[in-house]
Amino acid sequence: MGDANAYVMLITGLPRPEALFRAKRPPLSRLKLNRRLRVLAPDDAETLERVEQILTWASMPMSMTDAQFVASVRAAMQTINNETLRLIVRDRLEIRTCIAALRRRLRGEGRPSPNNVWGYGRWREHIRRNWSETSFRLDNVFPWLREADRLLRAGDSLAMQRLLLDLVWKNVNRHVGEHEFDFEAVVIYVLKWDIVDRWVRHDSGLATERCDELSESGLGEFANLFQHQQYQSN
Amino acid sequence: MNEIALALGWIGIYSPMAIGAIGSSIGCAIAGQAGIGAMLETEGGYGRYIGLSAFPSSFVIYGIVIMFTLNREVTAENAGALFGIGLFAGLALLFAGIWQGRACASAINAAKEKPEIFGLSLAPAAIIEGFAVFAFVFALVVSADIPAGGGS
Repeated sequence: MGDANAYVMLITGLPRPEALFRAKRPPLSRLKLNRRLRVLAPDDAETLERVEQILTWASMPMSMTDAQFVASVRAAMQTINNETLRLIVRDRLEIRTCIAALRRRLRGEGRPSPNNVWGYGRWREHIRRNWSETSFRLDNVFPWLREADRLLRAGDSLAMQRLLLDLVWKNVNRHVGEHEFDFEAVVIYVLKWDIVDRWVRHDSGLATERCDELSESGLGEFANLFQHQQYQSN
Repeated sequence: MNEIALALGWIGIYSPMAIGAIGSSIGCAIAGQAGIGAMLETEGGYGRYIGLSAFPSSFVIYGIVIMFTLNREVTAENAGALFGIGLFAGLALLFAGIWQGRACASAINAAKEKPEIFGLSLAPAAIIEGFAVFAFVFALVVSADIPAGGGS
């Protein structure tokens, strides 16, 4: 039957996600999605996990440096043989590289040194060379860069989040027409699920919870310091 | 040489049926899997998904009719014609079957979310059926001019 029809039943059995910013919840729970994904061939399941690991912030330990992350991505990319998936990952990480550059510049950091591994993709060196240009002379490739720079400077994090999620949604959607019932279609569905999930989790309660998690992870062994002091003072 | 020509003639007679059957099997399998997937996700209307997944079965029927039309005593004079018409009619039915299966799967996938487009979503599959009918009808028309063989 060929790979183009490898997952017809799986894809038709999945509810279509709503338009990104209209969705109130993901089209199905992660538990249910994982149950459906059990039909994936072992190799495909492994590739999907690898792609999700690279692209999901939550799977990245706080202690990981940029260089370590880039090294892990390079290692993972060598094991992903699927051209479409490689493109999806590369494009997504290039968006992140641009945003990282904007944030670094906004913090007042200077042009990175040529040996400093701070980003991933084709534009890292180009961005470094054009560090002082508003959009790093990448207007033709990333027309959204000026808007992202403006939003970062204005501190409008919600609008920034919308812009980024819209970009990654479009990045994934670009490949939908070529892949209807194959493995790539399954990965695209899962990545879209992740994006919708991130958007609907844009909830103050959950954000506070995540912030607590991150600060606890950042504090590490000092996490109980204040509790201990309070106990002593009592 | 003569034996090879005769063998090709027989291949031509049986091809539309055999290759058409392969096309129908693959097409029905693709559409059928889509139907099963859609039934997991919907609460009703199962019958139409199953009905739609049987759409590509028509190609084996066209193949059978072409096979009976071509079926005659194979001679060195008519073997080439039987081979050419039979094989290419079979290939047309094969690809029509596979792609109609995919078109039906897409229709099922779309209609499960939006039942009101069910009828319209069948248009691509119906158009593919139309092309297969061309291959079928003109195989019959052309085969009328093939010598019957055995001097008859």
